[in-house]
Amino acid sequence: MLLTLATRAATLLGVLVVVLLLVVVTLGATGFSDNILQAVVREEMKGIRESLARTIRDPAQLETALEARRQELVSFYGLDSPWYTRLPGTARRVVTLDLGEARTLRSFKGSARVADIVRERLPLTLALVTTATVITSVLGLLIGVSLATRATSRVDRLLSYLSAISNALPSWWLGILLILLLAFRFQVFPSGGLYSLPPPEGRWDRFLDLAWHASLPVLTLVLVSLGGWVYTVRTMVLNTAQEFFVTVARAKGLPESAVQRRYILRVAAPPILTNLILGLAGSLGGAILTETIFNWPGMGRLYYDAILAADEGVIIALTFLFALIYVAARFLLEVLYIALDPRVRYS
Amino acid sequence: MPLLEVEGLKLHYRGASGDVRAVDGVSFSLEAGTALGLVGESGSGKSSVALGLMRLWPRNVAHFSGRVLLNGVDCFKLDEGEFRRHYRWEKVAMVFQGAMESFNPVLKVGEQIAEPLLQRKVGRKEARKQSLELLDAVLLPPSTYDRYPHELSGGMKQRALIAMALVLHPQLLILDEPTSALDVIVQAEVMNLLKRLKRELGLGIVFITHDIALSSDLCDRIAVMYAGELSEIGGADGVLLRPGHPYTQKLLAAVPLLTEEKEPEFIPGSPPDLTSPPPGCRFHPRCPYVFDRCRVESPPPFPANEHRARCWLLLR
Amino acid sequence: MPRDIWKVLLSSGSGRAGLAFLLVLVAVSFYVVGTYPRDFGLSRWNNPAYWADNPKSAPPRWVSLLGTDTTRHRVWERSRPDSVTPAGDREARLYAFSFSLGPKEVPTFLSLSLADAVYYGDPPLLSLRLSRPDGKEIGLFSYSLPGPRPGEASPTARFQDTPLRIFLSRDEALLRSTSRFLSQEFGLQLGPPELMGKVESALFGTPQGEGFVPLPGDYTLAVQAVTTDSRDRIGQLKLVVGGSSYGAMGTDAVGRDIASGLLFGFPVSLIIGLSTALLVTAIGAFLGVLSGFSGGRVDTLIQRSCDILVNIPLLPILIFLIFVLGQKLWLVLVILVAFGWPGLTIITRSMVLQLRSGQLVEATQSLGASRWRIMFRHLFFQVAPFILAQLIFITPSAILAEAGLSFLGLGDPSIPTWGQILEQGFRTGAVYVGYWWWVLPPGILIVLTAMTFMLLVLGLEPLVNPRLRSRF
Repeated sequence: MLLTLATRAATLLGVLVVVLLLVVVTLGATGFSDNILQAVVREEMKGIRESLARTIRDPAQLETALEARRQELVSFYGLDSPWYTRLPGTARRVVTLDLGEARTLRSFKGSARVADIVRERLPLTLALVTTATVITSVLGLLIGVSLATRATSRVDRLLSYLSAISNALPSWWLGILLILLLAFRFQVFPSGGLYSLPPPEGRWDRFLDLAWHASLPVLTLVLVSLGGWVYTVRTMVLNTAQEFFVTVARAKGLPESAVQRRYILRVAAPPILTNLILGLAGSLGGAILTETIFNWPGMGRLYYDAILAADEGVIIALTFLFALIYVAARFLLEVLYIALDPRVRYS
Repeated sequence: MPLLEVEGLKLHYRGASGDVRAVDGVSFSLEAGTALGLVGESGSGKSSVALGLMRLWPRNVAHFSGRVLLNGVDCFKLDEGEFRRHYRWEKVAMVFQGAMESFNPVLKVGEQIAEPLLQRKVGRKEARKQSLELLDAVLLPPSTYDRYPHELSGGMKQRALIAMALVLHPQLLILDEPTSALDVIVQAEVMNLLKRLKRELGLGIVFITHDIALSSDLCDRIAVMYAGELSEIGGADGVLLRPGHPYTQKLLAAVPLLTEEKEPEFIPGSPPDLTSPPPGCRFHPRCPYVFDRCRVESPPPFPANEHRARCWLLLR
Repeated sequence: MPRDIWKVLLSSGSGRAGLAFLLVLVAVSFYVVGTYPRDFGLSRWNNPAYWADNPKSAPPRWVSLLGTDTTRHRVWERSRPDSVTPAGDREARLYAFSFSLGPKEVPTFLSLSLADAVYYGDPPLLSLRLSRPDGKEIGLFSYSLPGPRPGEASPTARFQDTPLRIFLSRDEALLRSTSRFLSQEFGLQLGPPELMGKVESALFGTPQGEGFVPLPGDYTLAVQAVTTDSRDRIGQLKLVVGGSSYGAMGTDAVGRDIASGLLFGFPVSLIIGLSTALLVTAIGAFLGVLSGFSGGRVDTLIQRSCDILVNIPLLPILIFLIFVLGQKLWLVLVILVAFGWPGLTIITRSMVLQLRSGQLVEATQSLGASRWRIMFRHLFFQVAPFILAQLIFITPSAILAEAGLSFLGLGDPSIPTWGQILEQGFRTGAVYVGYWWWVLPPGILIVLTAMTFMLLVLGLEPLVNPRLRSRF
């Protein structure tokens, strides 16, 4: 079992490495990182010029001194050698999120450091996505199972259509629709943001306000994935229910509840989980766009703001972080899968 | 009183083009401690008889009727809950065809064997002990308890299935093609095991197979099934050595013989469509001795030597 | 085999619906390809001057059916005057534009455009006069075309390439005339700064209380051009009395006719979806078959690559790459294909492995068929319906991916897509002020297009998943 786990971990680590390489090489080969570094050098030169100009009066001397310092900076940042020699350094910096300062974006507390900005957005995104996933999973299981046990051809067809629609529905458009409907027309929910302005006092009131603001984004995420999820659960449960060992279980005199639990659900769990894994990337993308619409200040919204502000440091950091989150989530789910399905433990 | 008495069992399925009359009036009896072989080609309805006895009909059942008396009690008259709690698996258990698919792939083998015990409030430790005893009885190592089905070979799985069937000490055991997926050596082992269990536990056994030669090994009586009906039934020796029905004769002639030069014969034609069986005697389109009455009237079972067969030839 | 596919699709409700929708999509796309210019994106859509005369953020024309009061958008173009009257040694060319305003109609702006003017002597003098249904008349505006530059030979040609556009609603002269009119006729003192932004309600209404009440009835706007030479030519005169609604789908904040943008999106979406799907399917299926058949090192290499690529989250990488490498549509397609093929390879490979261990291949091999022949002919037909289903399934994902990318602001500016229209609406806050005609239709179209392909996949299900064929 450990061997399979280790191979999966190795593959996922490989993914991370490939993403890193992709990011870093693209930055280098297109001269992007050069531009960034040169901008950094220019910034520093300005400061150096100011401080040197105070002590050195002679303009010719000033220029020579400045040139010397500039050369120092250039070789310090490796700008005088071809870009691929700087790859390890760039890679290291991406991994540790040491990407300097953002151009215009700032963290909530005002810091300009990319790492700070990105880090404080992370829990907000995780909270949103996890809440939506939990609600979807629970609802999907309940509805899917009840539909599977009452399968008729009419319900079946209706469900196929609904899940086809749900699959085709982009989460962000549904979000816009919900805003138009529930926030604009019938003003039930706020159209975005984290808290009302001004945020209420008191921890409980603040929490309620937060939940109220989170309702529409969560609702959007849930509605979009629910259709496909219910369909998957129902199909897997139905398929499993037709398996021979289910008949055997009934033959053994087991009550229907035990048959449902141990022979149908428990066995259908691994393929259902597989579908969850497959949809993971999609829900991540959906989260990015949903946050953008609802102005939910998580990593997704940060992407949008950074693109508008052309803040490359933030974009690089976010890209890497998203890959990291995805890999981590995927790994967790794989572990869960191995725990659920003994057949894959020794491969 | 015989352990099992079946009278006029009928089981029809709803098919795409009409009702499939899989079991169309089957009657037989079985004494405790004896084995009855139920022999027939694929599609003759023998598996359906087993499902009928266990009251395990599938969703598309169209009709079932008849009397099934276990120790004098009509099982069909009991309600489902009563049957499930006190009869199914407790008095009559089944070893299914397809050992590969009979086990839940995500649960341990031993747990699946012990399940009916745990269901009846037997403690975990006691249940495990009894299951291990059963595994021993079927000659499987105790480590089998903690294994998963995909870790066992075909023969091991088959034996585990037998252990699972015996866990509540049933009086009647139905086996549906228990050896068809196994090689001959393992087949022999399983047959020996069954013979021993019949002797030691006094089980009544219904042994379903398409291999008439195999049934001769274990069974005291043999019933031949064709197109949903029992065409011949009687003591094993009688049916095998002095068959009364042409179909039985053909079946026996199809068995390759080791010691003789004679080639195995084939039975021409194919089994009838059970949605509309042929009129009269159901075997008449393939029978070499067919005459007019056969085409029109279905023969009732006639006594032939020590057994009964449905053939107009026996009227003479 | 294509016949089977056809039969299966037509046999189910979803297959029929999918085909019907697809037909509509293709028909509209052909129409657009035939009638729109190739560089629609740059020459028209992103060219604000083209839309200058449209009302901004106006709902579609048909909202009047829903009960909202709208003013019709009126545009006239004349190349010849209605009458030419001599006035001394000059000519007065009169262009009369008459229209009727309904009970609640108030124009939203006025604008006058002139193109292709050629004169021989003195430049022509334009003046504009409004006649109201209550009999009052206002001289609104007069303008003299620019004179000849020193050394310029006669005849002088002006406004040949770019027309002259006078946005009357903000014109100082017009505001002053209106202010004078109001004080003379109604005794109302409202200076030009106060009139700015609502001069139309004054011109086309009567004062009441604090504001104005619309004055319905027949109006005539007369444009008079006084020329000094009968050879003088005014090629084209265009008057716009702006309305509050426009077009089949309304306009956006820049005045663009949203319907034309939406129409352009049809062929673009189809091309994006289908070309991505075709490439992914072709590459993926080929590699899948190759991998399943060759085994050994080739198989392992392809498998490992798939494993890794499939685990890379698409949207973040897509965002990053487009941000760094540039916002070009073909680049998006390349990236989608580069990260999309592994999905198909994995599936194809497992099908090939399944079939390979089956009897069909052994039998064919024993008959002496070469490896490649087996691969392509015999396996292909078994695997083909499934691949077709995948192809249809990938199309909407590509369309949705591009839409999502555009929505984040990374669309290709030279090729407008539905996602971009949505993005512009969102970014300018159209959602929060309820401009539903801007944000709903693009989304609906995206959803309908994606659904079309989903329905087709559903329709193909009996062919692809035989277990579902005869269950009910």
